[in-house]
Amino acid sequence: MSTSLSKIPSGVQYIFDDEVRLRRLIEREVMTVFAGWSYSEIMLPMFDYADLFSLGMGKEQAEMTYRFTGRDGKLLALRPEMTSLVARTVATRFRERPRPIRLSYSGEVFRWDQPHGGRQYEFHQIGLEHIGSGRLEADTEVLVIAIEALRRVGLDGFTITLSHVDFFNGVAERLELDDDRRREMQRLIDRKETDGLNSFLEPYDDHQNRGDFCKLTTLAGKREVLGEARRLVTNAKSASALDDLECICQIAEALGIDSFIDIDLGDVGGLDYYTGFTFKIYAGGLGAALGRGGRYDQLLAKFGYPEPAVGFSLCLDWLAQLVAARQAKAAADAGDATRLSAAGDIVSAFKEATRLRSQGQKVEII
Amino acid sequence: MLTIAIAKGRLQDEALDLFRRVGITIPGDALTSRRLLIEDQSGRYSFIFVKASDVPVYVEYGTADAGVCGLDVLMESEADVHQPLDLKFGVCRLVVAGKKDSPAPSYNPMGTARIATKYPRMAADYFQRRGVPIELIELGGSVELAPLLGLSEHIVDLVETGQTLRENGLAEIETIAEVSARLIVNRASYHLKRAPVADLIETLKIGIAAERE
Repeated sequence: MSTSLSKIPSGVQYIFDDEVRLRRLIEREVMTVFAGWSYSEIMLPMFDYADLFSLGMGKEQAEMTYRFTGRDGKLLALRPEMTSLVARTVATRFRERPRPIRLSYSGEVFRWDQPHGGRQYEFHQIGLEHIGSGRLEADTEVLVIAIEALRRVGLDGFTITLSHVDFFNGVAERLELDDDRRREMQRLIDRKETDGLNSFLEPYDDHQNRGDFCKLTTLAGKREVLGEARRLVTNAKSASALDDLECICQIAEALGIDSFIDIDLGDVGGLDYYTGFTFKIYAGGLGAALGRGGRYDQLLAKFGYPEPAVGFSLCLDWLAQLVAARQAKAAADAGDATRLSAAGDIVSAFKEATRLRSQGQKVEII
Repeated sequence: MLTIAIAKGRLQDEALDLFRRVGITIPGDALTSRRLLIEDQSGRYSFIFVKASDVPVYVEYGTADAGVCGLDVLMESEADVHQPLDLKFGVCRLVVAGKKDSPAPSYNPMGTARIATKYPRMAADYFQRRGVPIELIELGGSVELAPLLGLSEHIVDLVETGQTLRENGLAEIETIAEVSARLIVNRASYHLKRAPVADLIETLKIGIAAERE
């Protein structure tokens, strides 16, 4: 056989056997959860005009797409994300439908990004969009659904970190940063480079106590962080962002899901289309976020039909990796049964066995 | 427990010194052994010793929660990790150097400048930003030889005192970046192991401040 035909391009995947079964299972479970919250699935094209994605993701991110020319000479791109496609569909074809509109999707996306940190050129996103409501209910809904979906596939050691783009926007406006400086400051905060941020802020010393702004890199933790942030940052925009997060945290606490939720006000990187609260999902055993989401109230306006929206997506590839690792561990753990002899005292043997079983341990009566 | 990747070589001793000063001690006999995975005495940290350029890899994947490596290695790797601390040791400069009499920053205006380096990404980025077309020659070591033997006109390399350059008849032309050792932290570990990570950062910060006084 010719070796040039045996060679595969880097960053693509061939998946078979158990892994396919596992991925299909996870996909079905997650989509069932979405359907249970009245989300209906939308199937989207593999490619569309490259301009569409630039509009949605921002120019820089959209440069990481696979682009090619269509028969009409226009530049096309393999879809790097789904939200832009959903947003345009809703803004153009679903105008008459009652709000809110709830849509879910599941499919591959393609990014021309140097594969490192476990990322591939192609990965599978499962997600949903809640369009037409700017209210707290919608924000709560997507968080609750994300948690239910993750628990449904057997994950529990995960953390959802909340942030809000206006928290940083308020600071940047206050410092009157131009685009380049703003991006630089964003990068420093995103990487939690406290020393770098300190020297960056030197020229702005008169505005506010520099030491306070340097703490922007460390505003991560439980709900108390919001109080600390309020002491450090006092502009109206940032304060209103903190109010939003406070509301979400209050509700999460009342719902008993606050143990899954953390705050990370230093999370300022990422897609340009987010306008409000944002979140990332982390789970043990994975070095990067396995899902992300947030509010994007300006995106639909770009398609001529302004309305608020919120959504999130999970990376199926990483979900499958985590679930497979947990299953393997469970299978290994299940191997060691405690052996109890019932030959002598049946009652005490079964008492002990019942006690172990109540702790979820495996027993074997011999 | 936190797993910390330490770059072997240039930075290893100073990194371990810093850890020792803040009370994170690796038993001496474990260090002299050839083991690559060692726990500290408190049992709270486990150290792995890897090639410098591998530190960002281990940390980005989350195999190590944190790591110590030079900014040079970090920038070259483009790893997506948190960089909460400048550890202030292992200070050197990434510079453009050439023969003493070489035509300085114009970099061969007649054509493409040839640059030999171990840092292809940073070198390319630096010259591209200045609109200088270059031909990169990627070398694994002894980069100073390249201009001497005529392989390239210039090199981009890490310089601490400049002695190696001088001994080989080379001179610094421009500084690209000041680099020093950094503490890097995996993005997921930062949240999932917040308390121990925050504790490590705070402890080291105090250690660095004490050293500078």
